[in-house]
Amino acid sequence: MAESFYKSLDIGKDVANTRTLLHEAIPLTGTIVSGTYADANIKNYAHGMFQSVYDYPYLSSSANHIFDITTGVSAESSLYASVTTAGQKSKKLNIYNQMAQVLVGYDHTGSIQRFDEDGDILAGGTKIDDVIFLNFSRLLTKDEIKKGTFQLTLGANATYATPMSKTFHITDASGSDGYLVNSPVGEYGILFASQGTGTPLHASGVNAACGLLFYQAGVCALTASIFNDNAAGGLLTTKCEMNSATEDIEAVLTGSNIDALGDAFRHRINNLQFNNTVELNSSVYFCRINHNEYNYSTNPTYLSGSKIRVKTQSSDLPVSYITTVGLYNDNNELLATAKLSEPLKKSSDTEFTIRVRLDY
Amino acid sequence: MGFLDNSGDIILDAVLTDHGRKLLAKGDGSFQITKFALADDEINYTLYNATHASGSAYYDVEILQTPVLEAFTDNAGSVKSKLISYSSMNLLYLPVVKINQLATNTKMHTSGSFIVAVDSETEGTANDNTYAVGYNGGNPVAGIIFGESLSGDNYIRLDQGLDSSEISPKQTLDPDLIEDSYIVQIDNRLGKIATMSGDLVPEDYIDDDNIAYYTLDVGLVSQITDDTNAQSQTIAGPRGTRLEFKIGSSIDLNTSTFLFTQLGGESVLETKNVRHIDSIVRVTGMKTGYSVDIPVRFVKSKLT
Repeated sequence: MAESFYKSLDIGKDVANTRTLLHEAIPLTGTIVSGTYADANIKNYAHGMFQSVYDYPYLSSSANHIFDITTGVSAESSLYASVTTAGQKSKKLNIYNQMAQVLVGYDHTGSIQRFDEDGDILAGGTKIDDVIFLNFSRLLTKDEIKKGTFQLTLGANATYATPMSKTFHITDASGSDGYLVNSPVGEYGILFASQGTGTPLHASGVNAACGLLFYQAGVCALTASIFNDNAAGGLLTTKCEMNSATEDIEAVLTGSNIDALGDAFRHRINNLQFNNTVELNSSVYFCRINHNEYNYSTNPTYLSGSKIRVKTQSSDLPVSYITTVGLYNDNNELLATAKLSEPLKKSSDTEFTIRVRLDY
Repeated sequence: MGFLDNSGDIILDAVLTDHGRKLLAKGDGSFQITKFALADDEINYTLYNATHASGSAYYDVEILQTPVLEAFTDNAGSVKSKLISYSSMNLLYLPVVKINQLATNTKMHTSGSFIVAVDSETEGTANDNTYAVGYNGGNPVAGIIFGESLSGDNYIRLDQGLDSSEISPKQTLDPDLIEDSYIVQIDNRLGKIATMSGDLVPEDYIDDDNIAYYTLDVGLVSQITDDTNAQSQTIAGPRGTRLEFKIGSSIDLNTSTFLFTQLGGESVLETKNVRHIDSIVRVTGMKTGYSVDIPVRFVKSKLT
């Protein structure tokens, strides 16, 4: 086509690149993960290494995968020797090592590093050796979990049948103004506990570090001791019964398989919410239309015979109406289109700059 | 104190076309936006009422109320009627492209389209038209192009110029308004463009919708030198160029009935039973952007 149809964009002056962060609120009420669908939205696998949670019975095509629950036990854990074969000892070790090598990385000798309670790996300190992992779907976290927005509310009443009589919160309260960057998978924050209803936390458990939240990876690593009492190294005044057999968390970790622990954990999820972040990269093309440009049309209805319909005599100003902007490459191949909400009148006494934004 | 008018800067969200996504996925640098064009696909200029009783402010009130469709991603269906820039603001006439059917061998078939006989059995000969449609009483049937042999006198002719009796054909057309070349779009599954001597023209490219794009210029485009009001001229005013070409049948249509079954139907043509597919060949002037859709029917004899 003749160049009179196309106007070149000056890459230096007419194209701008922008970055926008969009956030969505992700609320997950506890009844979705335990109760609403009578566990028809919970998928267990033959390998038994994790349990998947959907927002609807997973056999339905409408179901969306929202997160996975699994458990890892480090070989350095005081409980490791007690984990039975029926308790999937080797698989819990494998899960711990797999998650640790991805999320914490290796030391200078190539050994897998353990999860560190305060993230200060070099200083040593307390390690998290018995971990409950929540691996959130990309559908929920998008590019990352927004720092400072994560809140998990857990039922902490000692009795299994009435778990929500007492609750406590786990938040990444420091995430908005402080986070760590020494993970191979990006940034992470430390999770802290705070009282909910019924003050179940022991005084030493209030504001205690109880896990790590990996923002870009979308993984929450919680210490299993959150359900233990203070005497056993946990956060609570009274430890929780994790199943109908009234076993505590240590008994479930050592004697039950990963799926059973997932069931026990879901039974105590009261609420889970966070905001996600989408990083939107945009190119803005400034389509500058001068007064003497684009005043005529090739629209088949523009002519009657050969006469221009919008003019009655040659001295009348030519008029056209813009509804569409097309973006092209050097070969005049149409790569993108944009539409106006209503026709825009163009004549030789008007000029426009149309900003066309293309998001990636 | 009033607010300043901030309506001069308009922000639009663009969507990638299917072809744009394809080039982006290739990652070879071919996705590089370097230019833009404007279009008015939804506008019906016949709604422009230059005799509105309330005055010129109301001439285009109906046009401005035209609802605009959402952007769609088919690159072949978007940005079809482009806006164009001419240096002169005093143009009252713009050239058109018209099918010239004034000669016997450039007429459409009486059924209302150009017919392409896709194989030799359908073309027939002057002496044998048992199942063929190309001859009647030993004479070629007007409007039937021989798609396999590309022989015969019938072809498609388009003339370009100012089609107005208000300007004498002896006036010279502005060089900016004379087409030197044309883009022809044809469904590549059905046919190909050929010269008057029967040589196939190489296509520029075939898009993801199987539409082949040809640029036709030297050898197929020639200046109209007749500036009289002769019966053979379809353009009433100053004339530019004419485009002449034939359409060859694709191998698929020539050798198989599959596409006829899938895309077409059956009918009777010249008293013979045929399979047919109806299609459009679009011809667009490179300079002026004026386009014309030519109805074409591909036919294959049923040999019954």
